[in-house]
Amino acid sequence: MKTVTRIALSLAIGIVLAITSAWSQDDMTIVDNAAFDNPQRTPSVFVHDAHNEAAGIDDCAECHHVYEDGKRLEDESSEDQSCSECHDLKGSGGQPSLIKAFHTSCKGCHQAQKKGPIMCGECHIK
Amino acid sequence: MAEPSKKEATKVVDEGIDVGISRLTEEKIQSVINSVIDEETGARLKTYVETCVHCGLCSEACHYYLSHDNDPHYSPVGKVKQTIWEMVKKKGRVTPEFIRQAAIIAQTECNLCKRCAQYCPFGIDIAYLMSVVRRIIHRLGVTPLYIQDTAHSHSVTMNQMWVKGDEWPDTLQWQEEEAQAEIPDLRIPLEKEGADIMYSVIAPEPKFQAQLIYQAAVIMHVAGVDWTMPASMGWDNSDMAMFTGDNELMGRLKRTHFETAARLKVKKIVMGECGHAFRSVYDMGNRWLGWAMPPFTIVHAIEFYHDIIKEGRIKIARKYKPPITLHDPCNVVRGGGLHEKARFVAHAICENVIEMHPNREHNYCCGAGGGVINTGPPFKMTRITGNRVKAEQLFGAKTKGAEVLVAPCHNCHSGLHDIVHHYEIGLDIKFFGDIIYEVMEKPA
Amino acid sequence: MHTFYNFVSGPLAWVAFILFFGGSIYRIASMLKLVAEKERFIFSYMSWRYSLRSILHWIIPFATVNWRRQPVLTVVTFTFHLCLLATPIFLLSHVVLWDEAFNVSWWTLPDAVADVMTIIVILGAVYFLVRRVTQPEVKFVTSASDFVILTIVAAPFITGFLAYHQWLSYPLMMCLHVLAGDILLAAMPFTRLSHMLFSPFTRAYMGSEFGKVRHARDW
Repeated sequence: MKTVTRIALSLAIGIVLAITSAWSQDDMTIVDNAAFDNPQRTPSVFVHDAHNEAAGIDDCAECHHVYEDGKRLEDESSEDQSCSECHDLKGSGGQPSLIKAFHTSCKGCHQAQKKGPIMCGECHIK
Repeated sequence: MAEPSKKEATKVVDEGIDVGISRLTEEKIQSVINSVIDEETGARLKTYVETCVHCGLCSEACHYYLSHDNDPHYSPVGKVKQTIWEMVKKKGRVTPEFIRQAAIIAQTECNLCKRCAQYCPFGIDIAYLMSVVRRIIHRLGVTPLYIQDTAHSHSVTMNQMWVKGDEWPDTLQWQEEEAQAEIPDLRIPLEKEGADIMYSVIAPEPKFQAQLIYQAAVIMHVAGVDWTMPASMGWDNSDMAMFTGDNELMGRLKRTHFETAARLKVKKIVMGECGHAFRSVYDMGNRWLGWAMPPFTIVHAIEFYHDIIKEGRIKIARKYKPPITLHDPCNVVRGGGLHEKARFVAHAICENVIEMHPNREHNYCCGAGGGVINTGPPFKMTRITGNRVKAEQLFGAKTKGAEVLVAPCHNCHSGLHDIVHHYEIGLDIKFFGDIIYEVMEKPA
Repeated sequence: MHTFYNFVSGPLAWVAFILFFGGSIYRIASMLKLVAEKERFIFSYMSWRYSLRSILHWIIPFATVNWRRQPVLTVVTFTFHLCLLATPIFLLSHVVLWDEAFNVSWWTLPDAVADVMTIIVILGAVYFLVRRVTQPEVKFVTSASDFVILTIVAAPFITGFLAYHQWLSYPLMMCLHVLAGDILLAAMPFTRLSHMLFSPFTRAYMGSEFGKVRHARDW
């Protein structure tokens, strides 16, 4: 009985975790702006999965890149990190500030693809 | 834009303007305007016209505007709009009637006192713009008759009042004799080469205010000044040509004046209590002749009195008793910064000096300057009704106790006389020289 | 809309800035050339001391007689002009665009402050409009061009305000905002908005004449 209970419990926990984590993925609707002390704009709207599906992005590193010595590392991605771990508020040398990293990442791609929002208020919706 | 039409269409009759207008054609008007604008103006006109933001902040600077219950036709920028803006905008294609109105505005509704230049945030020189209009009016031959007559006098006699060659030394000798009855060894030294000072006056002095020359001679004598007066043309420092836009004639006048001083080898030119002459000698005429500043040290009477009192060369026996108020003439105060020296003189010779308000550089114009009084009887009421605010200002000084109004400028003197008389203010008007002569220590 | 946005914020903005800077240099240079050709004497009367003395008095609120005579106008015009210049230069979203485009950035205003400054500019423009149509001395000298330049100045602020708050159609407002900004930049040297360029010179000249020749105050 104990074993059964243990298995059942761990299964249940596992399922709940799996579901909630899946929810959290589905539920990413904005870009976390907690790193900003005094954010001037509303956090940018960004529905992660829907966006990637619509944009046909499979490779996480498309956005979650890793740079070393100013070079982008192939086959490495950083989805386990938060952007602000590398991109600080000020930016330094070749490393863009957090704001600029977000903007160039989103808007840069939108401009290149000629798809997606490019004006301030299209992402920072009031 | 609907425009307020407070300004009644008074049909002034002036033969100079009216006959001049009758000779005009639109082609002539256009060619003259464009010739003046293209050949005689430059960055100032262009920049002023293009920089003005039509804010109207110059309005309250103008005594005509204030006196006409803030009628915008009389504001400085309003006058610019009714004259040079239209000429520039229409490239000279304006009617003779427009020119008539422009002549009246520029010659009789603006004293070129430059008070508005102190009120424009951009420092636009509106008086200069009015001078450009006057230049156009001159070249169109539409200048008001009376002032044109003085300009003719200048041209023929080199003085403003048709004083003939022999009348001038005659008058000086007459005043010398008169003064010798009081001070036997007094001289009015004529043609004294190498004197320190050439004393010059405006032609109205010998013409009908010869006592002023008498007084000046007494002051010079007592102060022990090494001075002289020229016996020939060049003695008159006045200049109505400057106000009619006859720049060439202005140049002739000032050249004669400066050359006379050069011929007499004097160190300085001291001039009587006249404002416009100071403007001409110190600011305008010299520039026309190519002198950034005058070729001689120019000492206006105010400064001269200041210096001789300060240096103790004349002593005040007893200060003048009646309370005085001091009018700051535009040409020597806004144009020469003599306001504090004038106050020094006033306090040195008078017991009680009562300030009128506004004063110093911000004083209201007398309404006569800029040649307006010289446009004569047809426009006498223009300048009197156009300067009610001056009457109010003087009345303010009078209520504070002033009995005498000191106006160290001929035009101011005459203009204020009309205002004091018309508005029944009841102030005596005097020159500094009148009072100094009265209160100074003289040899017994 | 994005194509239009990219056009007005790209090539057209280049044109606007070139017209603004090029036009400003051209206007000032041609003014100085005209002085050199026809009124050379002006140079000999210019004085740094008296120019600055005059400019200083007139750019300080209430430092001149006329500013003191017009207290309301003085407060409005100073705050209006200050906000008019400072808001677009120090607006966060503008600096972000400069940073993205040219890798340059500078201090920025908090958005809430910029919002208030924008409202000040708009209200200032309304004040000037009302003053222009109600004050007889201003109305008398008003021409159509005065309303045009006021509109040119107010438009980027009105559209910017609406776009910031995302009222009405955001994308349209944003595009109109950028377009209005381009028009303002391009118009500045070539309309009477050029008082921005010329007033320091006219003020300096009058200050020099008054200080050096006339020994009197011009304020």
